[in-house]
Amino acid sequence: MMRQVPNIAAVLFLGVLVAFPFVYTAGDYDYVMHVLITAFFYAILASSWSMLAGYAGQFSFGHMGFMGIGAYTTALFCHYLWVADAPTGLCDEVEIFGTWFIVVDAIGVTSSTLTQDCLREALAADPALSVGRMPVLLGIVLGTVMGGLAGFLIGLLVLRLRAAYLALFTLGFSEILKATISAEIEVTRGQAGLELPSLYESGITLLGTTYDKTAKLPPYFTMLGLLLLCLGILTWLARSRFGLFVRALREDQDAAAALGVNTTRYKVLVFTITCAMAAAAGAVQAHYIGIITPNLLFLLQMSLVVAMAVIGGVENFFAAAVGAIILQVMLELLRNSFEVGGYEIDMTIWRLVFFGLLLMITLRFFRNGLLAPMIEYFTRGHVAKETVARRQAAEAAFEAGREAGR
Amino acid sequence: MESPLLFWGVILWMIVWGAVGSVVLRRRYLHRDLDTTNTVFVGAMSGAALGPVGLAPLWLTTPKLGNLLIIAPALLTVFLIAVAFSFADPDNICVTSSGFVASQAVNGLIIGIIYGFMALGLTLIFSILGIVSFAHGEFYMVGGMLVYFISAVWLPGVPPLVAVMGACAIAFLIGAVFERLMLTPMYRGKIDRPVEYGILVTFGLAFTMQYFVQAVAGANPVKAQRFIDFPRMRWPEDSDPIWVKTSRGGVTLFEQVSVSNPRLIAAVTCVLVLLALMYLLHRTWTGKALRAVSQDRDAAAIAGINPDRMNMLAFALGGMIAALAGALLVQAFSWLPQVGNIPAMRSFVIVVLGGLGSLPGAFLGGIMVGLVEAAGTGCIPDAQKAASYIPAYGMIVLTLTLLLRPTGMFGRRFAAGTHGKF
Amino acid sequence: MIHLTVRNLHKHFGGNHVLKGVGFEVKGAELIGLIGPNGAGKTTLTNILDGAIKPTSGTVYLNGERIDQLEPYEVARAGLGRTFQVTRSFRRMTVLENLQVPALAMDRGESRAEMRDKAHDVLEFLTMEHLRNEFAQALSGGQQKLLELGRLLMLDPDVIILDEPFAGVHPKLMEIIYAYIRRVNEAGKAIIIISHQMDSIFSLSERLLVLNFGDLIADGPPEAVKRDPAVIEAYLGSDEEEEA
Repeated sequence: MMRQVPNIAAVLFLGVLVAFPFVYTAGDYDYVMHVLITAFFYAILASSWSMLAGYAGQFSFGHMGFMGIGAYTTALFCHYLWVADAPTGLCDEVEIFGTWFIVVDAIGVTSSTLTQDCLREALAADPALSVGRMPVLLGIVLGTVMGGLAGFLIGLLVLRLRAAYLALFTLGFSEILKATISAEIEVTRGQAGLELPSLYESGITLLGTTYDKTAKLPPYFTMLGLLLLCLGILTWLARSRFGLFVRALREDQDAAAALGVNTTRYKVLVFTITCAMAAAAGAVQAHYIGIITPNLLFLLQMSLVVAMAVIGGVENFFAAAVGAIILQVMLELLRNSFEVGGYEIDMTIWRLVFFGLLLMITLRFFRNGLLAPMIEYFTRGHVAKETVARRQAAEAAFEAGREAGR
Repeated sequence: MESPLLFWGVILWMIVWGAVGSVVLRRRYLHRDLDTTNTVFVGAMSGAALGPVGLAPLWLTTPKLGNLLIIAPALLTVFLIAVAFSFADPDNICVTSSGFVASQAVNGLIIGIIYGFMALGLTLIFSILGIVSFAHGEFYMVGGMLVYFISAVWLPGVPPLVAVMGACAIAFLIGAVFERLMLTPMYRGKIDRPVEYGILVTFGLAFTMQYFVQAVAGANPVKAQRFIDFPRMRWPEDSDPIWVKTSRGGVTLFEQVSVSNPRLIAAVTCVLVLLALMYLLHRTWTGKALRAVSQDRDAAAIAGINPDRMNMLAFALGGMIAALAGALLVQAFSWLPQVGNIPAMRSFVIVVLGGLGSLPGAFLGGIMVGLVEAAGTGCIPDAQKAASYIPAYGMIVLTLTLLLRPTGMFGRRFAAGTHGKF
Repeated sequence: MIHLTVRNLHKHFGGNHVLKGVGFEVKGAELIGLIGPNGAGKTTLTNILDGAIKPTSGTVYLNGERIDQLEPYEVARAGLGRTFQVTRSFRRMTVLENLQVPALAMDRGESRAEMRDKAHDVLEFLTMEHLRNEFAQALSGGQQKLLELGRLLMLDPDVIILDEPFAGVHPKLMEIIYAYIRRVNEAGKAIIIISHQMDSIFSLSERLLVLNFGDLIADGPPEAVKRDPAVIEAYLGSDEEEEA
């Protein structure tokens, strides 16, 4: 019974999250929904990072880089690829089954009006031309695949690196990516950011209600669904041999290999899977926000993910996910500045100071995070008692056997 | 760039042969049961520099890879990249103006000395505690901030030297207190993965310090006054060009190479402090104890050294070195709470390049990174792009070093016996 | 039938010639002791058999399959398992999970229930059944040693190499390890024991291999090896001169 407590709590928590958008009606509805969507986004990142760092022991500091690969893949895909029913004559285009695929030329941020690219010019010249976007879903899938592919390559490269070297290498990867995106302004538009279509550009009808593209409810459930999907995959992995092997790998790579575990394969696999998850989260978030800039790749963002996972409990991805949601909501709640004795306390900054302190205190005094031990209390609390009981039973049986023998 | 195809073609050729060389040569040495420590690096560099022509003799004769064979191909590779660049872009200022190149080189060297000095703190911490401090950039930032606040806000009019020393003292204190409070459980074996713990907890410190400073000091850039003005002079008076010309704000050599006053002061101070540090490490009991702990923790403990005390000293000293670098540069750059991010990354690059835990490696690595950055910013045709790429140059060096030669230039394979595997 | 063939193994580390043409054969459920002074090449030989390092020349065949160029995990799957000199349990995994790793890695098509039953048997045998859900780090040193042996039972290889199984072990534990070795041997597996404890190794093994400076200087029944002049010289060199 005790063991079910975390599961019951999880179901209740999930129930609250599902019901929330329908129950909550206050004036700041959109803002609160936005906070929660962002919280789910961080929850995906934190839980996948906890699989990578906590389960497999690969402390990667490049997780936001993979997130950025997912986001930028779909952004570039949706920004530069279009379909039309007739040739424009101005762009690079190719016909497949009567549909014209158009590659818009990269013009960077030189134009303030954004009408100078070939497609806009073609549209201006021929208003009858019907132009369509590429499907958003395809972009997200592509982003996820690219993230997984990058994770696979990085996983191969870091096979020989351990601990501090791994952290530095992945950090370096992430920084190179950020610098490249910032610098290649013609393609990525640098700090100006790439605009993306919304998740549901033409609106969506759910249960008889039509939501337009700015409504918060569809992206809320999309992100929540993605989070649940990721947690589902992670749970399945953790319970299968995969979870067992990557933990063995974390504990002792040589011993695992001597027992028949293909360590190389699982190390690369864990990178591929978790990075694909980060990329998927990034792609969905990019479409939800509608614009993406290299600032998403700042180390600050990585610190947030790491801190959330650590405070929740890095060796339990559920704890990491719930920790991320709670912390993100708390960070938003703490935004309100107040005055003390005529001196204004700027909480937008001070909350981050407390966040950093919380991270250090958690690391120092609660090695397994704040949430994970609670879960463990219920799932493993009985173990010590059971061990003693088993030993006593075994001893009693032994004694009884001796009595009988005598 | 006039013919980018030529340049990128050469680079691609180098990458392909470098990759081939690194794999093939290691296999070959492994097969012959020879020492493979340097094979990946030498293979990559000879492949990149000479292609199959360079690799074939190595493959056939498998010589012992001494210093000459390690350094020569690397230098040749750099030289060939430079040649390819000059052919591809003959009008570039780096190709046409020797004065510009000299100026860039001297400035790169000077800033490199400061970089190296800062990285020295990081490598000192690593060699004793076995952790990579992610708070190094924040110590740098705090050092600069303290100098500004001491000399401009709290005690206006104090001599800069006092402000700098005050900043160092406070940074030392922060480092010592943090080490006592947060890092001590690492030494008692209470932590399963001490290396990761060290990274995360210093990461937390960085986060806290950065936002604390931002909360207290605000997010607006501050800048400290120049510490001292140079006297105006020309020497020799009547030659043309004038060899040395100084103004209040800087020095010009041969009317070509100009170095700004704050940078020169900072570099000279760094060299002086470095010499003092070397004296400390090699001539005093404390320094010898520090080095002993970095060599073998347990043996040092048996010899009567308290390794815990040395940990505290090393962490505080390392932080203080970063703070000093910041304190000296606050007169050259405008200062923000985020200002430590890039120097921190650069320090990572330098210590990895030099070899984690190696003091001379850090210094040499600093100079190399300074030169690479100077070449990168000065010679890339598109200036705006070049500026955006600055953080990436170092990181490319870092990732390449980790791939080709994780021990860096002078690294020991298992640096710092303290906390096991790296 | 189990058939391990080691032929003419050489290994150089730089200029150091550590193995100089070692060769022997193991046929069936033999119980073999491998002894030799420090630096004789025992560890190198183990590491080559296990796949952790590759030999300079020479071959190793296990049941007709060449294993000297395989990776350690492939060697384990081919049927050769080992323990380490220093115990290497997966510290933050439960005892049961420690046992599941090799069983799942081998992937013999057993169901989870079958694996659990097997793990149960192994734990009963090692007198550790009550600890099944404890983390390995909560175990004593001796129990961790037993756990490592238990993992080998789950891996169920044809040839088992035990690296110093008796080092730092108290008598009660020694009994269990003795029983373990006999049980594994009776189950038809070949065992190679590396040890410095001559009493144990002479009483246990049916055949002794003696390594000295990379040469296999003796190979035979313990009684014969004991009297072998080459062995006496390697082990007791100076003593003999005194006696003479």
